[in-house]
Amino acid sequence: MSERTTNQKKQILFYFQIHMNQTQRIILYTLILIAGASWIVLSTQNGEASSTGPAPQTGFLAPDFTLQTAKGETYTLSELKGQAVLVNVWATWCPPCEAEMPAIEKMYNEYKDQGFIVLGVNSTFQDNPLDIAPFTESHNLTFPILLDETSDVSRAYQVRSLPSSYFINRQGIISEVVIGGPMSETLLRTRIEEALK
Amino acid sequence: MLESFQTLFTPPRHMILLVIATWLGLLLAERRTERHGISKEYLNDITFYGLATFIIGGRLSYVLQNMAAFSKSPLDIVSINPNLFDMPGALAAAFIVTLVHGQRKQLAFWSILDALTPFFAVIFIGLGLSHLAARTAFGLPTDQPWGIDMWNATRHPTQLYDALASSLILILLWFFKPNPRPGVHFLLFTILTTLSQLILQTFRANYVTIFSGFRQEQVLAWLILLVGFIVLEIRLNAVKTNTEIKKNTG
Repeated sequence: MSERTTNQKKQILFYFQIHMNQTQRIILYTLILIAGASWIVLSTQNGEASSTGPAPQTGFLAPDFTLQTAKGETYTLSELKGQAVLVNVWATWCPPCEAEMPAIEKMYNEYKDQGFIVLGVNSTFQDNPLDIAPFTESHNLTFPILLDETSDVSRAYQVRSLPSSYFINRQGIISEVVIGGPMSETLLRTRIEEALK
Repeated sequence: MLESFQTLFTPPRHMILLVIATWLGLLLAERRTERHGISKEYLNDITFYGLATFIIGGRLSYVLQNMAAFSKSPLDIVSINPNLFDMPGALAAAFIVTLVHGQRKQLAFWSILDALTPFFAVIFIGLGLSHLAARTAFGLPTDQPWGIDMWNATRHPTQLYDALASSLILILLWFFKPNPRPGVHFLLFTILTTLSQLILQTFRANYVTIFSGFRQEQVLAWLILLVGFIVLEIRLNAVKTNTEIKKNTG
């Protein structure tokens, strides 16, 4: 009997309850909870602004840019403040980019009257400029297609994969980033409605 | 090195880290499962059902919350898109299935959780690393020499803090001998993980504030900690009472 008790004690040697009775444990729990509560109060003073200028991340001001379409129309992102914007970075050779275009076009037509605009930023610096017009015509794209010839936008948005989509709310803050694709209609609809709020 | 890591696992490839963590977690859990009275076969079964329900439950929960959007494109319910996913719904579904499956096989609920504890711990490590790769869950700006450059500032590497804390908890629980009381192993993991989150949340940049400036995540962690202590005490006393009963009747 005593041998079994010794074995049991050995088995649970490392656990604190073997060294503590219930009262001691409750004191320990209380101390941890008080320390935790104090830490929460102290943490409120550590709340310096997390956003440090524009960055291509949720919660940050969207990096501004000015680009032109093939027809020479100029679009500046900051001038679209007050509208919800989807910045979709794509290329003609990218299959998921192509796959999501019909859904983007459909959502653009469905929501544009509510203050939603799509800026389709073509990664022209890594695309064949001659392929862009046939691509947009074959998909009947009516939203502005901007040409990023110098990779300025790709660098500002730290684009690592195509397609990359940035949903920007009416205040110019990025509300969602979707890397990769293709995005479905439902995904677009839920994110656009969030950006329009 | 960090740059190479982030390039290698740039989204959506950061999900690979979670797949690796799932596999490693299961391997580790398998090695200790029999200590908790759960066979390897059953552990594999329950992990399979749990993961399947996690994926299906996460999507279904998201669909239920966005019925209006899905009613216009019903085929999107089965679209391959990780963004159409509700994490709390996924966890709840997996938990319920694990519970029901365990009861049907007449296995103790707490023993299943004890056996799965290494799996959970490795998943938490994988989660921290996948956040680092995706450059999400980032920290507040800092002057500390170990700060990392992210989003226009040198920031606390909160993703690494998370991965490190979860690794320490895993090591701690791995090398300690298992407690004979079912549930204690899992509850200690829960308490330690919650405590680490309560502390580390201070350094995270994205948080929600409630009640005049308190961080919601920390308040939630504190409440989980409180519940964790209560349940731990109940488990310790419940087993003690059974032992006493055995002594009295034996």
